[in-house]
Amino acid sequence: MLLRQFLMEWKLYSRDRVAMFWTFLFPLLLLLGLGVIFRSRGPALTLVWSMPAQTTAADAEMERALAQTELILLKLPPVEAERRWERGETAAQIEKAGEGYRIRVNSYLTAQGQSAAQIAQQAFLIAQAKHNGMNIDTLPILMESPGHAHASNYATFLLPGLIGLNLLSMGLFSVGMVNVAYREKGKFRRLAVTPLPKWIFLAGQILHRLTVVILQSFVMLLAGWLMFGITNHGSYVALMLVLTLGTGCFMAMGFALSSFAQTTETYGAISNIFFFPMMFLSGVYFTLDAAPRWLQTAVVALPLSPYIKALRGVFNDGAPLGSHLFGLAVVLAWTFAAFGIAVKRFRWS
Amino acid sequence: MSEPVLRVRGLRKQYPKVLAVDHLDLDVAAGEVFGLLGPNGAGKTTTLEIIEGLTAQDAGEIAIFGMDWKRHGKEIRSRIGVQLQSTSLFNKITPREALDLYGSYYPKRRSTKDLLDLVQLNEKADAYHITLSGGQQQRLAVALALINDPELVFLDEPTTGLDPQARRSLWDVIHHMKEEGRTVILTTHYMEEAEALCDRLAIMDRGRILTSGSPMELVRELELPSVVEFTFDGKAPDASDFARKLNQAVESRGDTWEIPTQDPKSLLPCLLEFAEMEKVPYKQVHVRRASLEDVFLHRTGRSLRE
Repeated sequence: MLLRQFLMEWKLYSRDRVAMFWTFLFPLLLLLGLGVIFRSRGPALTLVWSMPAQTTAADAEMERALAQTELILLKLPPVEAERRWERGETAAQIEKAGEGYRIRVNSYLTAQGQSAAQIAQQAFLIAQAKHNGMNIDTLPILMESPGHAHASNYATFLLPGLIGLNLLSMGLFSVGMVNVAYREKGKFRRLAVTPLPKWIFLAGQILHRLTVVILQSFVMLLAGWLMFGITNHGSYVALMLVLTLGTGCFMAMGFALSSFAQTTETYGAISNIFFFPMMFLSGVYFTLDAAPRWLQTAVVALPLSPYIKALRGVFNDGAPLGSHLFGLAVVLAWTFAAFGIAVKRFRWS
Repeated sequence: MSEPVLRVRGLRKQYPKVLAVDHLDLDVAAGEVFGLLGPNGAGKTTTLEIIEGLTAQDAGEIAIFGMDWKRHGKEIRSRIGVQLQSTSLFNKITPREALDLYGSYYPKRRSTKDLLDLVQLNEKADAYHITLSGGQQQRLAVALALINDPELVFLDEPTTGLDPQARRSLWDVIHHMKEEGRTVILTTHYMEEAEALCDRLAIMDRGRILTSGSPMELVRELELPSVVEFTFDGKAPDASDFARKLNQAVESRGDTWEIPTQDPKSLLPCLLEFAEMEKVPYKQVHVRRASLEDVFLHRTGRSLRE
């Protein structure tokens, strides 16, 4: 009976094109899109040099130093440089300021502008040093993950984050939202007048979501491997354990939250209160190292942040589970709390 | 009467703002089609849902096949069939799949094919639920209620919202249930449906049963079993003056005056003469037998359709 219920869930799920898109295609597109945008070697940085007609020996030295960097140097007369700036095309511009120089960074294009500015600054220091007869070179920069994965790039960082986020959205929307809708539309009531034991219905649903999540994660990992050469550095047992824990935690959250809403509209509001902060603050797309310390601390209390950290640790860096005990304990605590609330408050109509 | 299939005593359900079921007693015998007739909000659905084990009552006792819900819930569920007022299924399940799935929940089940034949859904057996018409969805809901070959079937407003043809075809299905010896309990707010289908019925209003019996008995109980109707072009004029002069109750409803009477044969000639005298601009005169509608009107002072 459980098997039948489980197979029926799959059959009906596979007919739902919207669910199929969000479950399987959307995460892939996101991974592909963001992965391509933030390739490990970013786009070539352009620095505009607003250069007056008259140049000095120091200017020439500066230009030589800049030419040796990876920056694309665009020399323009000040008037034209200003026009380009006002069109918003310039990310960073270097210009004369008295005896020295000044770098202007476009506040709308800080990612490119700041990077260009940093390199220009280095070039300036080298030019100064050479001018003073010293011979120095730039400090080499090596991109590496905390677990010494040398090939680490943004897609590698992104993949576990997206898998974690998918688990969360599966729990909140495919479990929580669906249950509210079933209750609201009376699907549960129709089942309640049959002798079908309730646990079979719920177990069938949970098993189905679990297999969806496993399949989905597998597709993502496969895509990561094929498109970006990302591989699992940890043990597969540890990876499966972490994935199962996440599925359990976020599904339980979905069940628990669904007991607080009568209609799908209210559920949408309630679930988004949890979903959006977690999505943006849990290090799915970017880390919070620039955020205030209190926020960084607060976010650890939400389950997604420590979860993704543990998942990254295992997957990207081959860390043993023991090294993420605290984070996993936080997730486990959430799981038990949500499960307790779900069991206590669950109702059919 | 032998042991009734359903026996309800002192049923009561209080919702925050309304007393939905007010000390209700009910007996339904094996093999009869029993109707709960009443306007919207009379408490029919709440009563049914309590009996079906979906809603808990505040007070009162229910015995189905002599068993109670607390101790024999599973056994009762496997012997009853339920069509809820709105049966919600998955959008993309087909009638055949739905019948197979729900059938798998029961120890004893009828074949999917027989039921598709019965409710004439063979052509749509493999169409998604969401693509079925209202009448087809309702027939599927009724077929689902029969999947376990139930002894007792609950139908909550089975024909509400259906066109006359779809309604007739559901009536046939319900007649068939009776022929097969099933006990059927249905709710409706259509009196012609109650008259056509029910062996016995109870008229319900504001959580209470006002009267019960066979449709014939209920009409016969009325002191005034006939009604003379004057129909007008457009809205009927005020009847109070006419009624006072005639010394006879006259109900003005829509384009009709209704004059209930015990003896239409002697009333009619003088009624016509008097109407001529008073220059009442009526178009036609009818005499009809009082209906359940009149019973309801008489009991509550209100129309069923209000």
